[in-house]
Amino acid sequence: MELTWGLMIVIYLFTAGLSAGAMITSNLAFLYGGQEFERVSRWGAYLSPFPISLGLGLLVLDLGSPFNFYQLFLTLELSSPMSYGSWIILFFTLLSFGYLYLWLPQAYQKVGQTLQLERWKKRLAMLMPFLSIAVASYTGLLLNAAVRPIWDAPLLPILFLISALSTGVAAVIMISNLSPWKRARHKELHVLTKADAGLIILECLIILIMIVMGRSSSASESMAFSSLLVGNYVWVFWLLIVGLGLIIPLFMELMELKGKIPVKWVWPVTISSSFLVLFGGFFVRYVITYAGQTNSWF
Amino acid sequence: MTVRMGFVIITSRCIDCDACMVACRSENDVPLGHTRNWVKSSGVQGQFPRVSEMFQPGNCMHCDNPPCVSVCPTGASQKRSDGIVIVEDKKCIGCKYCLTACPYDARFSNSETGKADKCTLCLHRLEQGLEPACVQTCLGKSRQAGDLNDPSSVVSRLIAQYPTRILLKEVGTGPNIYYIDEAVPDIPDGK
Ligand code: SF4
Ligand code: SF4
Repeated sequence: MELTWGLMIVIYLFTAGLSAGAMITSNLAFLYGGQEFERVSRWGAYLSPFPISLGLGLLVLDLGSPFNFYQLFLTLELSSPMSYGSWIILFFTLLSFGYLYLWLPQAYQKVGQTLQLERWKKRLAMLMPFLSIAVASYTGLLLNAAVRPIWDAPLLPILFLISALSTGVAAVIMISNLSPWKRARHKELHVLTKADAGLIILECLIILIMIVMGRSSSASESMAFSSLLVGNYVWVFWLLIVGLGLIIPLFMELMELKGKIPVKWVWPVTISSSFLVLFGGFFVRYVITYAGQTNSWF
Repeated sequence: MTVRMGFVIITSRCIDCDACMVACRSENDVPLGHTRNWVKSSGVQGQFPRVSEMFQPGNCMHCDNPPCVSVCPTGASQKRSDGIVIVEDKKCIGCKYCLTACPYDARFSNSETGKADKCTLCLHRLEQGLEPACVQTCLGKSRQAGDLNDPSSVVSRLIAQYPTRILLKEVGTGPNIYYIDEAVPDIPDGK
């Protein structure tokens, strides 16, 4: 079929995952790292509400009847991932702004008492990981439900979840490194980089399993996966995703972790590896969204 | 028994005149650039001099398990109790989710309304006791529509008499267009 869902949807899938990933990074760093991880928790909280808000804006603009979008919130259709997903995303986005407020410097917190706000921060930090996992993986269920080749891969929600976490961590690494204020310390970065490297390895494994499963499935499915490996999407898949988005940043991160990078290179390497992770994460959404539509059943 | 509306399409009787497409467009004010029904060609098959070409008309299959309905986030896409799958424009937000979910590409986004658009089985004509426009106009009587659950309907009689096939059975949508490829010399009488 012709392309029904285009770049807007790709951007939306990417930004939703990015926000969810940044949120979890902030929550866990805060809950388990405390003061020592204060800077990355803070940057995660500052970042999280914005990508998803942008994605949502584009999504509404992409509707055929944008002014009708409130219809989404007059009902809950349990068979439609887009329906329950919209509710989840609504709560996530509202609460992520609340969470951001709780991380503002005291001078900007005009409402509420400091002690109470601290308590709320903890409560939200315990709740948000669940919402974030829901946001990140529902995007996979969204495509699953349309039952097209590639889109119906059972591992898709997991792939999107892991990719979301990885891009979230990378975005936090990047911002907390770029900022002159509250810049992340070495220890924080070390832990995040380790986490990201682990996530990338996991993501590679999942992609591999998905391909093996797809190739041993029906002819339509197998053909669709071929379009990634050797067909229309061969460059996007091997060069932009596997090469630039997974292997190279993984290699850079492993070198960093081993301390093999000369001190004056650490900063640029950190920034470029996290950028490449974001870049790869975007093209993962791109290739799945597009290849799922340019292939159909036969 | 409940009504289950659907089509029988006899490919051997289709001559690719596309009158059904024209009739549908004018009956339903379908904007140019998209169509609610179609005639697909198999391309030339076989080797000279024994060549053949098959034409396969189609449109929304008013599926038994329509994925377009289950994915719709607002309840705009519905399956009526008589089996007809419709879009309630008022509720449709134009998210195009249903377009991606239909394995037959039977839906499109109407550029004038911004809503999902598709075959309605000419519901407005059925209510007046008329046949769908594509069926009425079909020169070769290739297109037939009616209640698949009523044994005395034309469609049921044809299905009882000839071998039929459905498209993309393995996807599990339960499509309600039954295709007959054999020559059908006489169309049986019936409702
Ligand atoms: S053919 Fe497509 S649009 Fe029609 S009912 Fe089946 S899935 Fe829905
Ligand atoms: S485009 Fe309209 S009918 Fe189709 S899924 Fe979206 S809201 Fe439902």
